[in-house]
Amino acid sequence: MTKASKKSKWRLGLTLLTVALALAGCSGGNNGEGGGAPNANDEGSGGSAVKPVNLKIMWWGPDARHQATLKALDLYSKQTTNVTFTPEYLAWDAFWTKLATLAASKSMTDVLQMDGAYIQDYAKRGLLEDLSDIDLSGIVDSKLIEKLKIDGKLYGIPLSHNGTGLAYNKADLEAAGITLPAKDWTWDDYFAFAKEARAKLPEGKYGIADNSAGWDWFQFYQTSQGKDPIMVDGVKFNLDKDLWFQFQQTYEQFRKDKIVPPAQVQSAFKENDPKADPMASGTVMTRTATVGSVSVLEGMLPGKVGVVNNPTGPSGGGWAQATIFLSVSSSSKNKEEAKQFVRWFISDKEAGQALGMTRGIPINEEIYKELEPTMTKMDTIGKDLLNTALDKALPFYPAPPGWEDFVKTYQTEMESVMFGKQSLEKAYENIVEKGQETEEKLSKK
Amino acid sequence: MMNRAYAKGPMSHLTLTAVSLIMLYPVIWWIGASLKKNTEMGLPSLWPDTPMWDNYIKGWQVTAEYSFTTFFVNTLVMEFWSVLGGVLTSAIVAYGFGRLQFALRGFWFSILLLTMMLPGQVTIVPQYIFYNNLGFVDSYIPLVLPHFFGGGAFFVFLLVQFIRGIPRELDEAAKIDGASVYGIFLRVIFPLIRPALVTVAIFTFIWSWDDFFGQVLYLSSIEKYTVGLGLRMFIDQFEIQWGQLLAMSLLSVLPSVIVFFLAQKHFVEGIATTGIKG
Amino acid sequence: MASKSSVVTLPAKARARRSVISGRQHLAGYLFIAPWLIGFFLLTLWPILRSFYLSFTEYSLLDDPTWIGLGNYEDIFLNDRIFVQSLKVTFTFVLLSVPLKLFFSLFVAILLNKSIRGISFYRTAIYFPSLIGGSIAVSVLWRNIFDLNGYINHVLSWFGIPAVGWLSNPDTSLLTLVLLNAWQFGSTMVIFLAGLKQIPSDLYESASVDGATRWRRFFHITLPMLSPVMFFNLVLGVIGSFQMFTSAFIITNGGPANSTYMYALFLFEKAFKNYQMGYASALAWILLVIVAALTLLNFALSKYWVYYEAEGGRSK
Repeated sequence: MTKASKKSKWRLGLTLLTVALALAGCSGGNNGEGGGAPNANDEGSGGSAVKPVNLKIMWWGPDARHQATLKALDLYSKQTTNVTFTPEYLAWDAFWTKLATLAASKSMTDVLQMDGAYIQDYAKRGLLEDLSDIDLSGIVDSKLIEKLKIDGKLYGIPLSHNGTGLAYNKADLEAAGITLPAKDWTWDDYFAFAKEARAKLPEGKYGIADNSAGWDWFQFYQTSQGKDPIMVDGVKFNLDKDLWFQFQQTYEQFRKDKIVPPAQVQSAFKENDPKADPMASGTVMTRTATVGSVSVLEGMLPGKVGVVNNPTGPSGGGWAQATIFLSVSSSSKNKEEAKQFVRWFISDKEAGQALGMTRGIPINEEIYKELEPTMTKMDTIGKDLLNTALDKALPFYPAPPGWEDFVKTYQTEMESVMFGKQSLEKAYENIVEKGQETEEKLSKK
Repeated sequence: MMNRAYAKGPMSHLTLTAVSLIMLYPVIWWIGASLKKNTEMGLPSLWPDTPMWDNYIKGWQVTAEYSFTTFFVNTLVMEFWSVLGGVLTSAIVAYGFGRLQFALRGFWFSILLLTMMLPGQVTIVPQYIFYNNLGFVDSYIPLVLPHFFGGGAFFVFLLVQFIRGIPRELDEAAKIDGASVYGIFLRVIFPLIRPALVTVAIFTFIWSWDDFFGQVLYLSSIEKYTVGLGLRMFIDQFEIQWGQLLAMSLLSVLPSVIVFFLAQKHFVEGIATTGIKG
Repeated sequence: MASKSSVVTLPAKARARRSVISGRQHLAGYLFIAPWLIGFFLLTLWPILRSFYLSFTEYSLLDDPTWIGLGNYEDIFLNDRIFVQSLKVTFTFVLLSVPLKLFFSLFVAILLNKSIRGISFYRTAIYFPSLIGGSIAVSVLWRNIFDLNGYINHVLSWFGIPAVGWLSNPDTSLLTLVLLNAWQFGSTMVIFLAGLKQIPSDLYESASVDGATRWRRFFHITLPMLSPVMFFNLVLGVIGSFQMFTSAFIITNGGPANSTYMYALFLFEKAFKNYQMGYASALAWILLVIVAALTLLNFALSKYWVYYEAEGGRSK
């Protein structure tokens, strides 16, 4: 190649580069302004009282939820002509990474979906708007609303009911002649069920999983015995030593007797993965489930799944509460419009039809009734679970900020015990140490 | 060439076939699994009873509004600029570091290497704030722009190593012919590092295809989604559309396979076969 | 070609280019590195400085950072058992996987460095695993292969070896990740391949004339000529392995019992799961110091084994 042709190639490349960057720059700039442009146009032409508003909204979920929500947004834009939306939808993990980044850059969307596990983190740092002044009478039970308040304020409008329980493989249990779990069973029943299942099931199959590494599983046990949760009021560490050892020693014995799966089987489980799910894979007969997740399980084991509430103690067991919310960010410039939209989202019947069961059992009784005739087993199984959970349900204890750290420690320490690499005593010591450290951090704030 | 002595024997075909098969077992599994129903996914069989071609059809049309056609086009356009930026600038910078003497060269080279050692997880938020302030969020700029500034420390260092392997006598000869440092770069060094540049191009292509973290933060409108982001639409907290996910993931690596297949023969045209007109 | 004899005997040439550097030479140097330099000041520097500042703060991402001086560093070094565990895991990983990957990829690169029929297909097939890198689909794949009732155990059972949960047992999980990582040796291999192609063929020819055996040629021509590329792969392998994230994240999520809790995963969870970005930044800077020290050591040691044709021999 000659020098000249090479030069011209270079020049061509550079020109292309400049043009590309310029083009990209333009489009980027436009996007940054977002809803600004239509604003300016309409102000010139109109003079009407309603100003055009663009609401940014973000949620997580599977595709069915995305499509349904987009439909509902369209509906709202038709009914309320001055409001348009910039939607963004992600999967669960990506949603929380992105939301934190948006918060850090002070550019959270006007409206966002929130979860019970994170709402404290965001509300306590002043990122969410207090929605107490939205009139929800006749839409959501006021007692339910009271339960959701954080420091007396409502930071998210509940969208659906949720609750915990156990799903069980009805078909396989019946075939093996094992007594099916019954509503309001006790922890003793639960452990007896596990032993019976061991006796009647072939090797390699189990009645219950080894949940000893899950902090929340023990918290269910502790609170069902009339004790406070592990973190009282989100500030005071409270792990009942006697109960804990009693509980963990039961599991330790179960591991020895092969009543629960061995550690290397247990730690390979991955819920809702068709091959690795403890129940869908056929290894374990029961699994913890929520209203939200049980329908996925039903999808993997069609027609085989039964539901029952969490094992109970003298004071009850499990919880039943809304855990998915729509929140309005406190930095939004269109709070009033956002609030109106949020209220519409759970009260409008057409929206209810469009959204269906894509966020679980609608919080609004009326809308649920409208949907009921068209429901399939995958839809109703969540409702069944909720129904068994409601009677004995204990309060839902939201995770305090920074709780993940404790969760991880609890899990690691207990996994070491499960693999026989550590004694229960040592694990207890380390868990308590972490708990106290967390308490110290939380009370400093 | 050193291997020519035994290269043509059946032994090397045998070894290579064996190695290839081990490496390809997952692909065979993958093709089978991509044709399974969600309920079959747990079964150990390699192949489903009735192949679900639907996984490909439905998977391609992932949402009502946009299909993978959009995502593939978006990704390929983005890739084009990234590769162009990387190839154009990495060679220039590498020549500077690899051949020229100038003040503070060692210092800057150390800084270059240091930028690789800080995990990206802690710089991504400040970076996001930076691009957000400039209004570049929800565009490809934050993903493409860095490639135009040397293409990243990895590639600069790679090319520096290659350039240092080129005999200086070639430079000297060109100098005697009256070439300047710029002339030496264009006529001597640039042609000789072509195999390495092909490597830069391939890696840029493949790695930016894979950069999920950056894409998820910087792109929010679905019409701008890349293939990587499109794939994430099959996944949620409780529910994963395995068949469709596997089907589309398989298609998503095809461009990289094709690019690699087409580009790899250029490795052959190294210094050994092009010859040197020194 | 003046260099052929020099390679076989490796005489140390005088590095005569030490003389005075003119202003024009400085200018040329800076002109060439300008693209990187501009990008560094424009795009890279600020986030780096910012993360350094953040490492002295408590920063949740959700509210503004508060200065706490050396608080994070004190916590990390004095109280954090997981820090120690993840360092242990990461060092083990680096020590095992870097040499393994280098060996594999060099071996295969030499196999693939020939002109026989169908070589393009072999190359592509062998590169394939490296292409599927971080995709979520891979996690299912791995579990399918390494599960208790997976492929590997199936093969082992032919020899009467009892099944092991390769990824779900803390004794084998890290080793399995090392293997997976080595299996994706494609990039390293490609770089070796490009390096092999750069070796002038007349070197081998003249060596053959001298009657050198294949092994002799390998150790006296291939290895020295390949050493700059080998050095590159080593340095980058160490840097990359210390930051290994994806496989631990999507396949084992650090478990069981933290046996695969890589440093980068620890750091990521601190930042984006626990919302402790200040703490995560401090972790990142500690990693930087460790990796930089090892890289420095690598560079220092390179004097003894890396041969640069351009410098006319081993530099002193």
